[in-house]
Amino acid sequence: MIAVIAGALSIIVSGVWVAIALVRAISVPRVRSIQNKDV
Amino acid sequence: MDKVLSVVAVVAYTAMLAFVAVRARVAREFVEFSLARRALPLALIFGSIAAAYVGPGFSIGFVGRGFQSGFLFWGIGLAYAVQNILVGLLVAPRLRSLKDCHTLGDAIGQKYDRKCQILAGIISVGLCTGFSAVMANAGGVVLSDIFGFPNWASVVIVVAVTASYTTFGGLRASVITDAFQFTVFSILMPIVLLLAILFHLNGGAATFAREASAATAAGLNSTSTIEIVGLVAAFLLGETLIPPYANRALASKTVRVSQNSFILAGIFSAVWFMVMISLGVVARSIIPSGTDEDHVLLNLVDSIIPVEGHALLLVVLMSVIMSSLNSLLNAGAIAFAEDVVKPYVKLTDRTALNIGRCATIAIAAVAAAGATAVPSIIKGLLICYAIWAPAILPAAIIGLWAKHPRPLAGILSICVGTLVAVTFQFILPSAIKVPAIIPALGSSILAYILGHWLAGESGGASPTLRLNMECEGWK
Repeated sequence: MIAVIAGALSIIVSGVWVAIALVRAISVPRVRSIQNKDV
Repeated sequence: MDKVLSVVAVVAYTAMLAFVAVRARVAREFVEFSLARRALPLALIFGSIAAAYVGPGFSIGFVGRGFQSGFLFWGIGLAYAVQNILVGLLVAPRLRSLKDCHTLGDAIGQKYDRKCQILAGIISVGLCTGFSAVMANAGGVVLSDIFGFPNWASVVIVVAVTASYTTFGGLRASVITDAFQFTVFSILMPIVLLLAILFHLNGGAATFAREASAATAAGLNSTSTIEIVGLVAAFLLGETLIPPYANRALASKTVRVSQNSFILAGIFSAVWFMVMISLGVVARSIIPSGTDEDHVLLNLVDSIIPVEGHALLLVVLMSVIMSSLNSLLNAGAIAFAEDVVKPYVKLTDRTALNIGRCATIAIAAVAAAGATAVPSIIKGLLICYAIWAPAILPAAIIGLWAKHPRPLAGILSICVGTLVAVTFQFILPSAIKVPAIIPALGSSILAYILGHWLAGESGGASPTLRLNMECEGWK
């Protein structure tokens, strides 16, 4: 059962990892467009 | 209260999804629509592949199987993990290395000839439409359950919402929304398991071990060896390199990202199946033993967290269904534009993009119309698996590895594989005892060998090879 709990926790960790990548992916274009406007 | 909370949860989820889809930006060129400019990082490709394969079968289906046959299905599911790891090690890097390649059909066209590309394209579009119809059916069932709409109206709503962001955003929107949906279900489902184990499982680890062993023994007794072989074959080959996965391999930032994302997705699938099977095993000591396979997860969640549980599960289900559906709509549309239309007509980038968008809408419409004809989720998926693997895999995998693949071998393999699969799946389903995928795959490989032999050493060489030979002669 320890393996099952470890598995569940590792899935949650991978969910958080993908969430961080998602936030970066949807926020980068806006930052770039603001930078372009400044230029 | 339960109903209100469910409606609020689904509306909030849809609003959040719409926000993410809008942030993903509209695709303005075909290369953006089909390959997201080949700039997607590891985490997004990994999350998107995992979100595409975790559909209703790999969530509700596996919990039900765990309830009935314990860890037997985890062993069978490992074939799927092995498949993903093998694709990551052997196929994805070769696919990603090809230049100007938008689809698997495109790769087959580069390795063999245009006829093979068109055949592969037609099969890809048909398969994506079939898979989409299965997902639309599943989505319709979930939405009808919440709002009480007629089934056809629920199917139309699910397909229309998914098609809207896929049509405008293309692959990037599909991958980004997949990542959002992956985050939702990969956090919520393990929490359900942890809650069940820590607070509702009387007897702790000893009860878990006893139930797991009893269910697995019952599963082994009720499943014949030939059934296990057929299931392992379907899990190993059925979804290998289906268009959405091939597109993600091609859209990766680098060859290494393409390789690692498939390997990670394979490891993730093994862990995911273990968690789903464990939910089924835990459910054995919480819900009544005669519960229907497809209702085990719903009943378990209702028993653990009755009010919030229903809403939570609906959000998870919407995620697993919509993430699979958007990937299939996008992949089918790209295959149509790139493999079916482009070989006949020289298209400008703008026209290709518009054809891709129109094809997304058309595939969504056909899938919605066909959703009511889907027999059941698992049966629908098995039909698609039985045709895809024999039709495409031998030609695609040998083509990527062989030095001089011959077009005749590719054409024969694709045609014979498709015909044998269709014959044993639809026309003569009771003629053989093994699943249709096995004889169809065998025939496809034999047809490939025959075609290779008939084509001879140079007569059947692909245009690329002939060009290379001419260049070498010129030097």
